[in-house]
Amino acid sequence: MDCAVALTTQAANMPVSEEPLLDVRDFSLRRGQAVVLDGVSLALQPGETLGLIGESGAGKSTLALALIGLLRAPEVQLEGSLRFRGTELTRLKEADYRRLRGNKIGLIFQDATAALNPCFTVGQQIAEPLKRHLGLSKWDRRERAAELMHSVGIPEPRLRLDAYPHELSGGMQQRVMIAIALACNPELLLADEPTSALDVTIQAQIMELILDRVRELNSSAIFVLHDLALGAQVCDRIAVMYAGQIVEEGPSERVLAAPLHPYTRGLKSCVVELGSRTLVPIPGQVPPLDAMPAGCRFAPRCPKAKAICGEQRPRAEIRDGRQVACWFID
Amino acid sequence: MSDALNITATPDSQWKRRFLQPLLRQRSAVAGLAIIVIYVVAAVFAPWLATHDPTAQDLMASLQGPSAAHWLGTDSYGQDLYSRLLYGAQLALIIGFASVALGLVVGVAIGLAAGLMGGRTEWVLMRIVDGLLAFPELILAMAFMAVLGLGTENLVYALALSFVGPFARMTRGDVLQVKNQPYIEAARLMGVPTAAIIWRHVLPNVVSPILVQAGMRVSIAILLESGLSFLGIGVVPPTPDWGLMIAEGRAFITMAPWISGVPGVALAILLVALNLLGDGLRDAFDPTTQKDA
Amino acid sequence: MQEPIFSLLDVERTYELRRPGWLNRAPRQLKALDGVRLDLQRGDTLALVGESGSGKSTLIRLMLGLEPASDGRVLYGQRDLAQLDAEEKKRFAREVAFIYQNARGSMNPRMRIADILAEPIRLHRLCAESAIAERLAALLDRVGLPAGLLQRFPSELSGGQIRRVAIARALAAEPQVIMADESVAGLDVSVQAQVLNLLRDLCRESGITLVFITHDLGVASYLCEKIAVLYLGRIVEQGPTDAILNTPRHPYTRALLQAFPRFDMPLKASLSGEIPSPVDLPKGCRFAGRCPEAQAACRESDPALTAFDAERQVACLFPVAGAQ
Ligand SMILES: Nc1ncnc2c1ncn2[C@@H]1O[C@H](COP(=O)(O)OP(=O)(O)OP(=O)(O)O)[C@@H](O)[C@H]1O
Ligand SMILES: Nc1ncnc2c1ncn2[C@@H]1O[C@H](COP(=O)(O)OP(=O)(O)O)[C@@H](O)[C@H]1O
Ligand code: SF4
Ligand code: SF4
Ligand SMILES: [Mg+2]
Ligand SMILES: [Mg+2]
Repeated sequence: MDCAVALTTQAANMPVSEEPLLDVRDFSLRRGQAVVLDGVSLALQPGETLGLIGESGAGKSTLALALIGLLRAPEVQLEGSLRFRGTELTRLKEADYRRLRGNKIGLIFQDATAALNPCFTVGQQIAEPLKRHLGLSKWDRRERAAELMHSVGIPEPRLRLDAYPHELSGGMQQRVMIAIALACNPELLLADEPTSALDVTIQAQIMELILDRVRELNSSAIFVLHDLALGAQVCDRIAVMYAGQIVEEGPSERVLAAPLHPYTRGLKSCVVELGSRTLVPIPGQVPPLDAMPAGCRFAPRCPKAKAICGEQRPRAEIRDGRQVACWFID
Repeated sequence: MSDALNITATPDSQWKRRFLQPLLRQRSAVAGLAIIVIYVVAAVFAPWLATHDPTAQDLMASLQGPSAAHWLGTDSYGQDLYSRLLYGAQLALIIGFASVALGLVVGVAIGLAAGLMGGRTEWVLMRIVDGLLAFPELILAMAFMAVLGLGTENLVYALALSFVGPFARMTRGDVLQVKNQPYIEAARLMGVPTAAIIWRHVLPNVVSPILVQAGMRVSIAILLESGLSFLGIGVVPPTPDWGLMIAEGRAFITMAPWISGVPGVALAILLVALNLLGDGLRDAFDPTTQKDA
Repeated sequence: MQEPIFSLLDVERTYELRRPGWLNRAPRQLKALDGVRLDLQRGDTLALVGESGSGKSTLIRLMLGLEPASDGRVLYGQRDLAQLDAEEKKRFAREVAFIYQNARGSMNPRMRIADILAEPIRLHRLCAESAIAERLAALLDRVGLPAGLLQRFPSELSGGQIRRVAIARALAAEPQVIMADESVAGLDVSVQAQVLNLLRDLCRESGITLVFITHDLGVASYLCEKIAVLYLGRIVEQGPTDAILNTPRHPYTRALLQAFPRFDMPLKASLSGEIPSPVDLPKGCRFAGRCPEAQAACRESDPALTAFDAERQVACLFPVAGAQ
């Protein structure tokens, strides 16, 4: 186990096992008539980090919530398959899901203030999964909680075990969330915009912390991000989502350095970098879910669109080590 | 979400879409509104719809059941119950609306002054309001009637007084909340004069819960009015008042149950209708039922 | 040199914090701003950057006259903001516009966009009543919104649209200075790019003086020609954008730049710890607790903002060296 850690941190891109840790195949999610996720396919190897990137409403959070079973029938209708370590998640019973959530799959939300319960001390909240999934005794839970707080960089953890969330700063609350998410050594960590509410300095600390811990545990992680440059820094792979579809997916250095899909290019030219001179916004806006174009969903805003784009949906093609869904890849 | 994108841009349709449509979508509120309209029509056209003078006594025809001459029967003085019912509706609605309107004007003024001025003014005004609120409405109105004496007008004053407290308290609460909204500060920063800020920015944002509250209070006012008259400390006989009519019929409840029953049922239906409409208004005005991204 | 449009002379802003409980009621002082010096020239575009809690919003509220300075003076032209008479106040209200961080919250939810935009025009009698409609259409056009939005309520607009309306309202009174607090935070990159381009074009075309608060150095560098970096209530470095990006002199500025996510560099947590509370500031340099360059002298004397070279000011005893 330990030597596997050493290996995979070095060669995150090399498949360690035959079967991916997470395998999403042609997964669709509908809310009534609205198709919120449309034919999403992804594979994540153990030890890999994946970034989900795209405009607001693209379906990033929806995909993350569906993965952890917080969006299920009858609220939404699911199609296709979600396999986690060979288990089909779409058919899992709620009781089994509960055994996975917070245990094999850890979660970090954007708004720690809202996600932490204001009525319990942070020590109690970190101890909760230790009790539920690992069945540790009360004394062991407290010890482990203090260790976890120390490991996420909270100074004087024993003093702060009994603090309530509102007594901590936003950055400290986010660290507590990370401690909770990592309490049971999850194999997959889902983080929905874990640092959007924080300053860049704290963001760098938190991201570094998450990455270190994830590597230490040889876990995989999925980050929902809105910052492309941050995606390039922390993710092995990037999946760019637009209007419920993945339009481009592949190794982050290739996807972000030399994007192939017109949408990825458009996004990149909107990013403000230090010393940017020009920004070229993508014209128009994301169409509403109930008025999606028939063919390529990006066609109304795409500078390269031709007649066929409005008629037929492009299939994802493997090109240059990544999947791209566009009729005109050059 | 998407229907926000294709709104036709006339003020009229905006009003309909934001207020009227949500209201009309609620069946119970529409039913309540319809019933109230019937009562109002009955009250307004009472002189034409009535078959008899509501206070004309005819002892020969007393305690009669419904008949062709007296559609809903007569009471122990031989007064025509149908006609008394119509005039009673008039009285109930007038007292209900007038007392609430008066209580509202005074209460909102106190609440606005307290909320906007703050400091000592607020402290004094709110202690007065606390004093008013310390008594249940019925007790306060009874005490006031005892001081002022019987009569329709005094009843309106007494009821209005009992409503001043709740309106003042509510207005002040809303004003305090609105006062700290960024758009108030933004208006000040743009140099909008204080009076205009109150009129344009504060009032419109506190008025809707007050109106909803007023709608609900009308039913309370009518109930209180009937109750006081029933207890003999409201309007004076032989004024055609539902509370009085119910009280008069009490002695004959086994012989002639319609004397109390007819005004009792009329009162109950009106109260239910007012409450249905009040609930509908609240939901229609409630910002949480409207999109706010 | 022309006279500055705003000057801040050693401005301080303290808040008294009451301790809970009955014993030990001595109030503690929270220094949100501590010795801020700043000159703003006509036509300048200045970005205020710094971590959350560094005092950016407080500084701008003082410059707007929304809060009084506890010490020091805020001058608009040559007049002290605290001593404006009614006539001058009115002029100030017209000449200086503010765009709130919470654009939607800064608009009366029961007014239509048309009325919201018309309010400053009517107030300052900038045109005849009959010409207002035309004027509103021109304003919306200027910020790239369709005229159809005029009859909507603020709650019916998207995040990008409402910020444009906020910009349009700021422009309505034809101000000379626009101040904006985090006006692009939380927007999608493509919408953010649109709003940034709009603001930049406006400043370039009409020579408006802009003070823009942001915690994003990229946004600051795109929009503004000058940057002032705040830390714990003091400007610690100030100068032209390019110079600050290329050769940061204050260790804090350098750390902010290093933490900024970039495509071509690995992630680097450049600073440990968090911004401390501005209550009971320690003796010496306020950044000493987190500063990688801190030396013994830093814990003794508190460096004031002083000229580093012709155009740069730095508040540090040991500024970062490096080629210009
Ligand atoms: N509870 C809900 N009811 C109806 N539609 C919803 C709900 N939650 C999300 N949606 C819709 O599903 C789509 C995807 O939303 P989702 O929250 O996954 O987007 P996202 O990519 O996470 O965006 P963001 O960057 O804003 O977090 C959007 O069109 C959204 O309007
Ligand atoms: N009204 C106030 N009362 C007490 N403290 C305040 C008040 N306003 C701001 N502060 C404090 O002043 C400091 C600077 O705040 P602020 O100007 O909002 O920072 P920024 O805008 O840079 O995030 C913070 O520590 C904040 O808590
Ligand atoms: S398929 Fe056509 S419209 Fe879609 S992204 Fe490619 S070129 Fe553009
Ligand atoms: S004065 Fe010292 S502690 Fe302060 S910033 Fe400069 S080097 Fe760091
Ligand atoms: Mg999301
Ligand atoms: Mg701020």
